[in-house]
Amino acid sequence: MIIAYIDPGLGALLWQTIIAAFVGLLFYLKKTRRWIVGVFRKMFGRSQKSSDTVAEIPAKETMKSKSDVR
Amino acid sequence: MPPSAPSFRDPAGCCCSFNGRVLRFVATDAISEFEQFLQTNCARQFIARKQFVSTRRLNEDETAALRESPELPPVFHAQPIGAVFEHERIPFPSYPHEWPPEMLWAAGRLTLELAQAALVDGFGLKDATPHNLLFRGSEPVFIDALSFERRHPGDPIWKPHAQFVRTFLLPLLANRRWGLPLAEIFTTRRDGLEPEDVYRLCGPLEKIKPRTLSLVSIPTWLSRRADPDDQKIYQPHLLANTEKARFILESLFKRLERTLDSLKPVAQKKSVWSDYMATHSYDDPAFAAKEKFVSEALREFKPARVLDAGANTGHFSALAAQAGAEVVAVDLDAACAGAIWRRARELKLDILPLVVNLAHPSPALGWRNAECPSFLDRATGAFDGVLMLALIHHLLVTERIPLEEILRLAYEVTNSLLVIEFVEPKDEMFRRLTRGREALHASLNAAVFEQACTPHFEIVRSLALPGTQRRMYCLKRKGGGN
Repeated sequence: MIIAYIDPGLGALLWQTIIAAFVGLLFYLKKTRRWIVGVFRKMFGRSQKSSDTVAEIPAKETMKSKSDVR
Repeated sequence: MPPSAPSFRDPAGCCCSFNGRVLRFVATDAISEFEQFLQTNCARQFIARKQFVSTRRLNEDETAALRESPELPPVFHAQPIGAVFEHERIPFPSYPHEWPPEMLWAAGRLTLELAQAALVDGFGLKDATPHNLLFRGSEPVFIDALSFERRHPGDPIWKPHAQFVRTFLLPLLANRRWGLPLAEIFTTRRDGLEPEDVYRLCGPLEKIKPRTLSLVSIPTWLSRRADPDDQKIYQPHLLANTEKARFILESLFKRLERTLDSLKPVAQKKSVWSDYMATHSYDDPAFAAKEKFVSEALREFKPARVLDAGANTGHFSALAAQAGAEVVAVDLDAACAGAIWRRARELKLDILPLVVNLAHPSPALGWRNAECPSFLDRATGAFDGVLMLALIHHLLVTERIPLEEILRLAYEVTNSLLVIEFVEPKDEMFRRLTRGREALHASLNAAVFEQACTPHFEIVRSLALPGTQRRMYCLKRKGGGN
């Protein structure tokens, strides 16, 4: 890696570091929220999937009945 | 043509123009990273969009031929140069001290877009200064191709953040809040404004406004309290969680983007000259005659590169651009240059608007005055056509430039065409500018003007604008181009 040659500032660099620490906390909060949402989605997704499977049966039957007509 | 002074700040390599080519000499230990970056999606996409300078590596024969050239600056022989790359040439180089605020904003936007796109490919932008960009017409182009380095995936800090604040955000803030011209900021300070500089300008209430607090006040307070000798501040703080490091950087770029957008210059800003097109002293037939005269001259001479001096809101710059020319439109009023930039961007016209006062043009700047050449150094012989419309009385009266000098400057800048509007001292605007000094210009008339033209130009045709004290001249430069 080439050595950075620009002046990184002093106050601005410290301020960036402080904000980075806060945003780091936000990262864990977001991750936790995503995990919780994921769990709920999984549960909700499962129940929807099972209802989809039920809903598919009459559709297949309808197609079958159409081919019978032909 | 002698080579331009090479850049020297970046230890990874240097760049200079040589025999009309733009060459970048890359240090041996930086070649592989540079070539890897050029192969990334980020570089390819921005090159395809013409927002990143196109670059190719010279082959061994080309490099050997170059090394043998005696005119090559000694710095290239002294450095351990690993490879030479050639960049496309951007037609007319311009610098931040000549840009209206709108262009600095656009350059900042592209800088952030590139920094974010490079992050996806595992690269980081190692410096963030407006000197990394030039403008092709009204569009910014990132030219400092060597500004990217492979970043440590656990590094959550963007070192050039402070430089981005100094050179983009604080100048835009100072321009918007106190009307500080960018020319004044960047002519004297290459690296923009320090938070401490802006802090001194702020009143007590201004200091605690959210934007000022974050950009100016808190960094100032922190730097006052910090120990300047504490080197630990500058050590990298690497995180084990690379996903977290990237999240922090992405959020920093989004925050900078929001701040930059909040500082976007406003369109309806008025100035002394921005209303000129609506309030000028011509009636419709005179203006139509002037427009027809300029159009005919452009059709006849077909200039590839045009300088519109005193462009105002860029009506005639647009005319030249629509006739197929690359136009550089200069005006001393930043609001006018900003209006031209908006219009050029909206209509996709090849116009580069710059804030330049012809009577006081931008000087050569930087180390040994060699980093940014003066406006006239760049303009001399760089144009096939020059438009000087409704300008001559400002130079003669306000700036007290002799008529012969004005024509000599036009002669040095153009290779072929000069369209100039002569304004009689009886003209309403001329009289307004004289402010009781009419006697100074009592002897000036069309015959005197024509006489002054003869050493440098031949008069192709002229036309008195009906109902005015003005006359248009289409002049051809004597003795071929520069």
